[in-house]
Amino acid sequence: MEAYIFNLVNLIAIYSILAVTLNFIMGYAGIYSLAHAVFFGLGAYSSAWVAQHVSPSIFVSYPAAMVAAGAVSLLLALPALRVRGEYFVAASLGLQVLSVTIFSEWKSFTGGIGGVLAIPPVDILGLEVFRPAQFAVLSVIVLVVVLLVINALVHSSFGRNLRAIRDSESAAASFGKNVPMIKTISVVISAALAAVAGALYASYLSFINVESFTLDTSVLVMAMVIIGGTGTVAGPIVGAALLLLLPSVISYFDFLPRTEIGSLQQIIYGLGMTLLMIFRPGGIVGRRSGT
Amino acid sequence: MSRTDPAQGEPLMRIRNLDKSFGGVKAVDDVTMDLRAGIVTTLVGPNGAGKTTFFNLITGNLARDGGEVTWLGRDIAGVKPHRIARAGVMRTYQDLRLFDGMTVWENVLNATEYGALPIPEGRAARLRKRERIERVLERTGLADKRDTRALDLAYAERKFLSLARIMATEARLWLLDEPASGLDPNSYERFLTILREDVAQGVTVCIIEHNLDIVIGISDRIAFLDRGRLLADGDPQSVLNDPELAKIYFGDRA
Repeated sequence: MEAYIFNLVNLIAIYSILAVTLNFIMGYAGIYSLAHAVFFGLGAYSSAWVAQHVSPSIFVSYPAAMVAAGAVSLLLALPALRVRGEYFVAASLGLQVLSVTIFSEWKSFTGGIGGVLAIPPVDILGLEVFRPAQFAVLSVIVLVVVLLVINALVHSSFGRNLRAIRDSESAAASFGKNVPMIKTISVVISAALAAVAGALYASYLSFINVESFTLDTSVLVMAMVIIGGTGTVAGPIVGAALLLLLPSVISYFDFLPRTEIGSLQQIIYGLGMTLLMIFRPGGIVGRRSGT
Repeated sequence: MSRTDPAQGEPLMRIRNLDKSFGGVKAVDDVTMDLRAGIVTTLVGPNGAGKTTFFNLITGNLARDGGEVTWLGRDIAGVKPHRIARAGVMRTYQDLRLFDGMTVWENVLNATEYGALPIPEGRAARLRKRERIERVLERTGLADKRDTRALDLAYAERKFLSLARIMATEARLWLLDEPASGLDPNSYERFLTILREDVAQGVTVCIIEHNLDIVIGISDRIAFLDRGRLLADGDPQSVLNDPELAKIYFGDRA
């Protein structure tokens, strides 16, 4: 039971990092990305590769994951952010679909469909962290650090610039802001921090494959942000916790037919999201009306 | 910062033979004029005369088809809007384009924040900026509303916030797109006072305005546009008293 709870804590922390970093671009800059799972995956694969071939130290494998994801996000951001918002959604969707193919085919790096096995546990100054309870401490600390970084950015001139751009790109430019540059930096930061979630995920599970980094994951993370409350601090974490706890809660109800739990879950997600958007468009944590 | 280096009346921005068409319709047609230091130039003309398009062209928001625009002697063809803004040309929008999700204070503060990444400022610089913004909010009557989101302001307050953003910057040329339209008489007096004070401090203003009382109350020069062409550019009396122009301006309404 204890291991089960710590396992949930770890998954909630990891998905919270994804939701918080997606919210950073969605909620503050108004950039809607359907490629967040790509950076999650890149972080996982890169850190796994580095841990296996170079060093499992958190100070080597995790930064490597951030650099890899940040660099790839630049390839998406540079061309796609010069045009209007809708095109970025389309471009990110394209990157997501393309990346799943690459993750499935690039066997020397990703292990193909079979995935990467036997990823060494993360090493923190000689301590190997792998037991769920220990790892929960690490994942929660990382989540807190990510939150602090995002919070500091949001409350700096950079964060105000992002919100200015979200509210009116043309007015932001008229007040001297280099709009494509600011948006690009925000996407790179978001991707690099999402990669940290990937690195945690890889070193926690010691096994990863492409299943975890598909469009479904990108959509799930976006749902976490929207349900919790776009543009709020706590919203993405509430959304992540809620969507990850839902399956466990449903499994407690014995009267439900076991074989139908999967589709039941989908129905609850879909219905919940529709109702929420009708009655509380700002999300659970968000303002009642408008944003 | 001193805004007074070129002598009053020296051209800060020179516009020569400016052209812009939209699908065969000439929105701005061979316009040549100067925006002179410390002077309020008012653009008047019927709706669709090309006044806002003219602003969009000289701020880089639109690419021109032909002609030349120089700012402080430098050609600004193809220069991005944010670079023109940083060089000292800032504008307001007729539809305001406030940062609606941000508070009044954040709107004004952010208008002065150009850099992509936060640059740490010294205590003295922060304090100066704070005082500057306080002063702007006092003058625009928004001091009590500093923590109100722009979205939640009343109409006149929104107009003043649009002006406050530009007042807080170091811009030397203000391009104001119908800043006084729809204001009540009190607000309108406040607006004229602000404008006169800042012009006395050396700000150069080009303003699009329909209200003739305001036009007369504020203008040093009037430029009359009609269907993209500059029909007159001179002192207020001579332009306003021109019967031909009056016919164009009032023709549809009479």
